Formats: sequence, structure tokens, C-alpha cells
Amino acid sequence: MSASDEKNVSDDTQLASHFFGELLDSVIMDVASECHRIARLGLDRNLDDEEEELRLSAEARARVADPSNSEANSKYVVDIFGQTHPAVAAEIFDCMNCGRSIVAGRFAPHLEKCMGKGRKARVKSTRSSTAAAAQNR
Amino acid sequence: MSSIIPTPCLHLTHFKSHTTSFTNLLNRIQVTPLGRASLQTTKTIHFHCGACGHAPHRLYLCLTCDSTFCDVHAPDHDHDIMVDVDRAELFCCSCGDHVYDQDFDSAVVVLQTAAATLGGRDSLCSPVPESVRKRRRVEYRPWSPDSQARVLLGLQLETNNNNKFPLGLRGLNNLGNTCFMNSVLQALLHTPPLRNYFLSDRHNRFVCQQKKKSNGVNNCDRKRLCLACDTDALFSAVFSGDRKPYSPAKFLYSWWQHAGNLASYEQQDAHEFFISMLDGIHEKVEKDERKPHSQDYLEPGGSSRFPLDYQLDEYRERVMWHKNPLVFRISSGDCCIAHRVFSGILRSDVMCTACGFTSTTYDPCVDISLDLVPNHDIPTKASSKNLHSCNGNAETINPGLSTLLGCLDRFTRPERLGSDQKFFCQQCQVRQESLKQMSIRKLPLVSCFHIKRFEHSPIRKMSRKIDRYMQFPFSLDMSPYLSSSILRSRFGNRIFGFDGDGNGNDPDCSNESTSEFELFAVVTHSGKLDAGHYSTYLRLSNQWYKCDDAWVTKVSENIVRAAQGYMMFYVQKMLYYKASGTS
Repeated sequence: MSASDEKNVSDDTQLASHFFGELLDSVIMDVASECHRIARLGLDRNLDDEEEELRLSAEARARVADPSNSEANSKYVVDIFGQTHPAVAAEIFDCMNCGRSIVAGRFAPHLEKCMGKGRKARVKSTRSSTAAAAQNR
Repeated sequence: MSSIIPTPCLHLTHFKSHTTSFTNLLNRIQVTPLGRASLQTTKTIHFHCGACGHAPHRLYLCLTCDSTFCDVHAPDHDHDIMVDVDRAELFCCSCGDHVYDQDFDSAVVVLQTAAATLGGRDSLCSPVPESVRKRRRVEYRPWSPDSQARVLLGLQLETNNNNKFPLGLRGLNNLGNTCFMNSVLQALLHTPPLRNYFLSDRHNRFVCQQKKKSNGVNNCDRKRLCLACDTDALFSAVFSGDRKPYSPAKFLYSWWQHAGNLASYEQQDAHEFFISMLDGIHEKVEKDERKPHSQDYLEPGGSSRFPLDYQLDEYRERVMWHKNPLVFRISSGDCCIAHRVFSGILRSDVMCTACGFTSTTYDPCVDISLDLVPNHDIPTKASSKNLHSCNGNAETINPGLSTLLGCLDRFTRPERLGSDQKFFCQQCQVRQESLKQMSIRKLPLVSCFHIKRFEHSPIRKMSRKIDRYMQFPFSLDMSPYLSSSILRSRFGNRIFGFDGDGNGNDPDCSNESTSEFELFAVVTHSGKLDAGHYSTYLRLSNQWYKCDDAWVTKVSENIVRAAQGYMMFYVQKMLYYKASGTS
């Protein structure tokens, strides 16, 4: 490249830089102006409270992640009323659909079949019922 | 968060007193379709500094003599009040600072909002949704028990030995993969307005009209289904004082009859159950409340019947949510208790990017479902807080952390709809690219936030769970997400009292106190998508408890803060009473 070409290139680069700088300044000024207005009119969000919540959350996570924290990792021994409970609820009551006695922890699967709902439940057709249906036609 | 009007500086006051306000200036303001105000330039007028000839990024026009200056030379000028030509902001040379004036701002807003409506009318009037009509506030009238009630209360005190435990704390037996139901029930059992409704006998299962008609199908004397009655029974059982775990079998049976498609023995989604249950209560309760309002139980010696026809009598009272509240006299509200408690209104604005015309719709909602994304994906004012470091501690907030506020920011941000989703602009009469923005027109009494942790892709026939942690506050201020705030910020935060419908009113409309919420329940999900477990944390008398099916245990606040929240329930800190349907 000739010397004058080089000069043109550097002038162009300078000009481009200059314009870019102006644009950037303008954008920064936009943001500053917005923030100034928000602050002056009392519209800023309560950053102190928000930061406090974030801090408490970070602390909490650190404490819970600590392997020596017994609370986070403990299995249940007794509940607050001093009771214990088996893995499958043992209470027995009558099904309100068919009247049979059902164990609480197995109530839902029973009810599903009992009510004829769900994918797995199919209405059982026995020989006597299909025969009766055939007779009635 | 309503704006305060700053006291004008002496120079501004002086300027306003001896000029014909800003009329000339306002005639020269131009506005872009999306609301940016600046001073007009034409082919012949280019602003540059009268002193140095440059045209930098910041130029001020003197309102007295019409000359322009850059920020370097402006302070030397004799006259005080200028305007930033690119931003239409007032500047005082003597104070060396931007100054704010209500008259100027209001006039600018009128120009900005003109583009948003057909025919350029100077208001963003949209039809106000029915249920937002303001009702007047009434004085609180205290209630005290009559002799009959006193006897009952007396009995209760004698037999109730476990006063040291909060009322209504009772485990729920898992009936076979029903933790999705138990977890939501625990949250609802302790939702203050809902709990008060059922405990004050507003839906008495023994006199419910719904159930009296029997359905003679199948030769069984099957009573009509009423999920609200089963809910009433649930409340009675859980608040009875019996602490052995309760089996909500009848409730499950009723719910399966109501929600046939969800009736199967497999793990289900707690959020789906929540919606389904509210739907169940809604259908039934509204038909019940047709009793005459002849009896006023406030009169001494009067009957203890509640005047069901009154709407929620609301009064201004500071209710500290963590104390056992008074028995509120809550009737069916707008349609039913479920909606009275949970229903809010969302506003959706679609703005044409070419002309600024805005189409607004309102939709009711009973909760807000939020996408879970890391905060650094959200371009928002809120992200500045991530750069603060705490005093003294080396702790810096992780910029990738997801937070509830971040999700809400994302929910209410203006979103550019893709070029394949152009909307038909009534003003331009062609399809244009547009911006869509959501905001909350009316907050419910109880806000339920549902975090979309389960992604179902019907195309790829694949589902996955997002385990990412999301921080959620214990105290929440919803005012930045209100329609009034969103509208205000859309038009440059000018001093102009936007109400939620875009109509101007007094800049200090007092919405603040109704937008503060307190967390009272968190439903969490642990484990995998198809082999997971739901449990609920409850906040009672400022102590947290974990309800894991039959197991109720005390936990520290830290456990709750660190938990993986799936649904969070917040209640308004202050409850107001309003008079019933004033015609």
C-alpha cells in the first residue's frame, strides 16, 4: 500500500472510532438519564430488601449443604406430636364405592379399579353377565 | 411504588412563573412509535453547540433564548432552564442537574400515548374489566360470640390439651402415590382467607343445597357431588384437634368423580391438581349462596347466621399474617371463594413497532406459571443488583442464579414477537412486527406462583425435570409488576399517575399496601420426573413446618430457603374490607 492509502485507512479507522464513541456515549447517557429519573422520583425498587433476601438464601444453602448439618440429612424418628408412621399408611376404612375394608396406603389403586377408571382398570366381563346381556337383546 | 414529585429548584420555579409554560417547547417534540420523546430535527435544523460548534451526545436547548449548547458549555450560559434535545429531559444549568416537572411530563405523556390508540386520542383508555370497579371501603364492625357460641368455645378450651401446637396441623396419609394431592391440600388448608371461609361455616356440608338432589342413576342413592362439601369435611377433620394422620379418602373419591380424566393411580402433577380442585369448588359453591340477607348477626342477641349476600366486607386492618387471625366474615365474593381468594387479572399489550398502536386484552388467572431461566438471560434493570457485593463479606451473588423476581421480570418484559408472528395493526391496516408485554392488572388476595420445572415435549415425546435452584423471597413486593408500573415505565417513567388501565389519575394512587405479600406455603418436589415426591412447608406463627404426607416436623427457615420450590403461596400482608356490590 502507498503512504497516502495508509493515511486514508487510518483516518477512516479514526472516524469510525469517533462515531462509535459518540454512539456509545449516547447510549450511556440514555441509561444514566433513566436511572437519574427513577432515583429522583423514588421509583427504585427496594434493593436493600432484595439483597437481604438473596444473602439469606445463599447462607441457608451453604448451611444446608454442609455435611455436618444434621437437620438436612436426618430421617424422621418422631413427628412433632411424638408419633411414628409406617411406610405404608395402616389405617383401615371402608371404601365408599364398594364398601370393602381397605388399607389406607392401598386405597388409591383399589379405588381406581373399583371405580373403573384409569388405564389398567377394565370392566370384568364374566360368562354370566355376557350371557345375560345376550339374553336381553 | 408511586412516584414522588420532587420539589422544584428555585430556578425552575422562577422560570415557570414568568413564561407561558412549555407550550412552544411541546410543539417541537416528536415521539417514536414506541414512546421515545425528543426534539424535532429537520433537514435544515441540526443542533450543535453555539460555543464550540460540536454536536456531541448531549446537547441542551435553552428554553429562554433558543440557543443550543453542549454539556461543557451549557453551565456558562446566562439562562437556567434547558432541555436535553435527544431525551426531552429538563436541565437546570445553575443546579447542574436534571430537574423534573409534572406539567411538562404530563404533556409529554399525552404525546407519547397518542400513538397507542386509534385516531390518536390522547388516552390509553381500555375498557375496565368488570371486577375491578372500585368498591368503597367500609368501617370494620367487630364481632363477638353470642351465648350459644360461648358455650361451644368453652367446651373446646377444656378438651383441647394440645394448645402448644398450632391449629390445623395434621398429617395426611398417602393413599398410594397421592402426595401430589396431600401437598396442595396442606397449602390450601392454611391459606388464610380460604381457611377462614370454611372454618366460619360459609359452606356447611350438612345444609348444602347441591347435595340434596339425589341422582337416581344405577339404583344407588348416590348424592350429587359437591367438592366444596368434601373440602368442608376436610377442614373440620384437620382442625378438629385430633393429631393422628388423616386419610383424605372421601376427598379423593369425590375429586376423581369431578376430574374423570385425572382419575388414575399414578403420580400426578400437583399444579394440575390445584387447578382442578379450584375448578371443582368454583362450579359448586356459586349456586349455594342465595340466602336472603334479613339477619344481621352483629346485633346483640341476634342470630348467629351470617349474611351471606354481602360481598366480602372489607375494612382496613393491619393483619399480621402470622398471628391467628380473627374470623373474617367472608362470603362468596365475585363468584365463589376459590376465585375470591386466588383470582387475579393479567393484562396483555401488543404494540405495533411501526406506529405504536396498542391492543390490550385482560384475562383472569388463578396463578402465574413462570419459566425457569437463569438471571443472566434476562436483560433487565434487576440484574444490576448482582454486581453489588455485601458489606465486608467476600460473598458475591452468583450472576447465573435464578430468582423469583428474575422470573417475574422475564414474565413482564417486552417481548419482540418473531417476524412469523406479525399481528394485524388496526392503524396501519397491515401485519406488522410487534412487541408483547404482560403485566398484572389486579393482584389476588393469595398469589400462587407455579414454576415450570416439568417440560413436556409432545414432538419429541419426551419429558424432563429442571432441578435448577430458584431463590424466592419470604417477603415480596409485587408493585413493579402491576400494570400501572409497567405502563409508567413504558413511557419513560414520566410524572403521570397511570392507573392499571392506562388512564391518568392522581399520581399518588395508593396501591402500595396491597402489593406487599408474605410467603406462607411452599410445595416442593424432590426426585426424578416420574419417581419423585411432593411435600409442603408451612409457615405458622412464624415457625416453619414440613408436611410430608403423614409426617409433620419442625424445620428451620434455612431448610425452606434452600428448598427446590415448585409452587409458592403468598398472601397479601394487609387485607381490606370493601362494601358489597354498590350499584
